[in-house]
Amino acid sequence: MKLAYYPGCVARSTGREYEISTRAVCDALGVELEEIDDWNCCGATHVSNEVVSTALAARNLVRTDIPVMASCSICYSRLRAAMIRLEDRKVREKVNSAFDKKYEGEKEVEHVIETIARALSKSGDKDKDQEEEKGPKDLVVRPLAGLKAAPYYGCLLTRPGGGIDSPENPSILENLIRTLGAEPTEFRLKMKCCCGPIFVPEEEAAADTLIRILLNAKESGADFVVALCPLCHLMLDANQVLLEKKFGEKISLPILYVTQMAGLALGLAPEELGLDINLVSTKPVLEKLAAAEGEKTEEEGAEVC
Amino acid sequence: MTQIAKTENMAMAAKEIATRTRTAEGEKFRERVLALAGEDVKTCIQCGTCSASCPTAHLMDTPIRKLVKLVLEGEKEEALSSRSIWLCTSCLLCTVRCPRNIRPMAVVAALKTIYEEEGNRCKDSVFEGIFGRQIRDYGRISEFLLSAEYMIRSPSSAAQIMAFGAELVPKGKIELAFDAAKGERIEGTEEVRRIFELLGDEGKSKKTEETEEATI
Repeated sequence: MKLAYYPGCVARSTGREYEISTRAVCDALGVELEEIDDWNCCGATHVSNEVVSTALAARNLVRTDIPVMASCSICYSRLRAAMIRLEDRKVREKVNSAFDKKYEGEKEVEHVIETIARALSKSGDKDKDQEEEKGPKDLVVRPLAGLKAAPYYGCLLTRPGGGIDSPENPSILENLIRTLGAEPTEFRLKMKCCCGPIFVPEEEAAADTLIRILLNAKESGADFVVALCPLCHLMLDANQVLLEKKFGEKISLPILYVTQMAGLALGLAPEELGLDINLVSTKPVLEKLAAAEGEKTEEEGAEVC
Repeated sequence: MTQIAKTENMAMAAKEIATRTRTAEGEKFRERVLALAGEDVKTCIQCGTCSASCPTAHLMDTPIRKLVKLVLEGEKEEALSSRSIWLCTSCLLCTVRCPRNIRPMAVVAALKTIYEEEGNRCKDSVFEGIFGRQIRDYGRISEFLLSAEYMIRSPSSAAQIMAFGAELVPKGKIELAFDAAKGERIEGTEEVRRIFELLGDEGKSKKTEETEEATI
């Protein structure tokens, strides 16, 4: 399977490990990524003129004929929102008046979590035929047994609605966590916006929300949080030390990208997933995983004896 | 106060409001917002679902529900001077929940647009301005350039940005090298510039650019 890859601006800077792990995981799943030629910024949440922001997002869509995959929830939401606005003939005409290559017809856009979930469910079907058991056993070679993950959706993955999952109470991430062998925690603030878009000018406002999200994730008993958006990740991971200082709380909660979590279960090495680039050390997760595997090996060994 | 005096007072107050809301300026403002955010904003029933859903509602001086009301009544000054429009995180929860299928976030975006078109400046609009200009000139965002320029324009933010940068630089998440800092310019910058100029300049007065450097 081949997809047009829309990396988004942060893939080359603060979200470096998201791009590294996205490429590694897609490779492992047999999904070929073809980067959109000369892509531009989607406008994110900072271009308030809607016709301009629609055109910025759509300029990326007209540059390919195959389905587009984005890993950033903001990019993904902007691309989908643009498609909805472009259903309006007047908006489409206006936008096209500025385009070299015109926007015509429907496009397909997906988020990397959909790419992963689909690839794993396909491999699950194969298993079903072979051994009457559900589960993508041939791909998940290193189940994340014993690990608890807080599923953090943030805001834009499911919005505007009508896409990936319910914008009120989605479950795609919990399902993926289970497929990979880990356990999702009851994370009440899983849909709470990280306030990243207003972080630079309104730091105080964002900090209050962020500390609540982190403490709630920690209280849920999670070994780590799963993030689907590089802005959420930046706010919870890189910002965590600053929040700890600001509020006098010790949190030390690793924040893994969904692709880093999936990559581990697919048997990829931590370096291949950029797990050394995260600001909050991801070592506790790797150690717990190794310890759980050690116990399992011992048990199996005992049975053999 | 007698009942008659009370009634007279109320009538006067009502008349005053009616005069205020029917000004040409207020009418123009209302029409501009509706053109940007959609005519269906007029069907708002003031149920408050948007305000109840908003993650930053507790920080706002004017709830989103009231912003919509101010727009429909043509209360330009009060709507544009509200800090609320800059506390919106664009999370779209109001928009997926609105029972009338209005897009309250689009109303906020329209207010930001008009605020900027009219040459007003605050720290948040300056950040948005830098963001937009960087896309217009390079096609993509360089987080280094973005924060550096914002820091220059809003010096009070320097401590926060430097502290954050100190976390990011050692991991190679922000490059300090000159070439990287210049930004990654795409081939199609001309087309991107056209998007801004052709589609974004409606209602924008020429003097906006000149006042761009105004203090924050």
